[in-house]
Amino acid sequence: MTDRRHQSLGCHKASTDLGHMIHLASTTQPIEATAPVASRAGLARLMRRLCADIGAERYMIVQPSFDRGPKSMRIITSNWIFDALEDFGSDGIGKIIESGNASGPGAVPRPLLPATALFLSEEERCAMREHGHAELYCQKLNADGVAIFALFSAETPRRIDAAALMRAHMKCSYAIVQFFRSCGGQEASNPLSDRERECLLWVSEGKTTDEVALILGVSPNTVSSYIAHAIQKFSANNRAMAIATAIRSGII
Amino acid sequence: MLLQSGQADRADLFDDPDLAVWPVKDEWPNQSATTTSEAVRLMRKLAERINASGFSLFFCGAQGEARRLAPVLDDNFPGISLLSKALSHRGVESFARLAAESSVPLWWQRCDSRPFLSEAAACWAHEVESPARETLGIAFPVAQERGRHGLIVFSGEDMMLDENLLCDVHARCFSLFEDVSRQRVADCAKSPVVSRRELECLRLTADGLTSDDIAASLGLSVHTANQYLTNSTHKLNAVNRIHAVAKALRCGLID
Repeated sequence: MTDRRHQSLGCHKASTDLGHMIHLASTTQPIEATAPVASRAGLARLMRRLCADIGAERYMIVQPSFDRGPKSMRIITSNWIFDALEDFGSDGIGKIIESGNASGPGAVPRPLLPATALFLSEEERCAMREHGHAELYCQKLNADGVAIFALFSAETPRRIDAAALMRAHMKCSYAIVQFFRSCGGQEASNPLSDRERECLLWVSEGKTTDEVALILGVSPNTVSSYIAHAIQKFSANNRAMAIATAIRSGII
Repeated sequence: MLLQSGQADRADLFDDPDLAVWPVKDEWPNQSATTTSEAVRLMRKLAERINASGFSLFFCGAQGEARRLAPVLDDNFPGISLLSKALSHRGVESFARLAAESSVPLWWQRCDSRPFLSEAAACWAHEVESPARETLGIAFPVAQERGRHGLIVFSGEDMMLDENLLCDVHARCFSLFEDVSRQRVADCAKSPVVSRRELECLRLTADGLTSDDIAASLGLSVHTANQYLTNSTHKLNAVNRIHAVAKALRCGLID
């Protein structure tokens, strides 16, 4: 099914008469034809275009990953300068994402300012100032259930256009879906095998090991071992934490 | 010297306390629907914006492997429109499955009609086989954060969407769906309120702490911590602790 969807992306023939649509457009900007995002370069091109639309200078698309411990961050694309990344580290980015300031699709975006982002350490707030993130927005993308975030920031506060930001939110989501489908980057975010995921899903529904074994038609020992593997992959302490991690990252 | 004064200016700019108040110049008036009829009114406005004549909002349901769309409200409110009936029919299960798995808009048209999406918008959306014969339509998959999934469908003969309108409408669908499903939860959940202390215990359990750890970090006895967890399990109508943690996370009671 995924294949079919992939094939039909963007293969649609263009309409010849766009005059009427341009008239209906909610902004006066000319409509640019967007090529489907099939490569990292394509994604970066789109992000630059979105930055120009909303009046931001810096962008980042980042995904909490489980490759290297529970709290590592996988940056998919970004134009943050090297020094900012070094000073901020994945710790700082992780804090921004988990601070509860990330807005979901359709939600009015909330700005993060160096002066008020008290969940960051003094050094991190200095780094924010120093590297031109005077106003930062964190958006949780809607991308096939994968937890993934887009960060936009501007050097000069109050320049960001809220309506364009909300639109950019959706465009980033669409683009990431296309990017993952064409580049197969999604596996890295979901470290679990299908069977392990299935076991966790049933456990999260309150089923015991024996019940899961019955449902899946395997032995209780196998179920236990699937769950033990999942716990290990998430570097979790116990089942409850593994379930929580899986739900938080959108795997189940 | 010049550089220094420039830096000082910038620092002042950043510390401006007014910045905490964000100037919302949102094109969409920030309305939220608190009743179903209010939601229908907002949906109707949204449909007008893209020249759609009909709309339906569905919850995505699953029964084992099967997927179904459950109609919640549509343009025929309080009745059920033909479109809602057609899309919730068992015969279009493949469409329901596609809708449940997709996060990009799905659209369909008749073979003789001209596409109603602009070229740029069509790049983002995904063209599917028509689930309801003789219609043109577009379906926006929506989801609550860690919660219920749904689908908002618009149909009509004269629809027109460009890239920005597509994004605007999808974003608006998300917030409308959030409102509608929150109403539903408020309607159905007559469950007792989980106390702050109980939520604290659930949150720590989700972070991988054992009852002993929780007792130590909250300064309680192990029995009290266990009692809190048992109470919250009952209140959430869960069968065990893990189930309670999963339910609390999915309803957004804890992060």
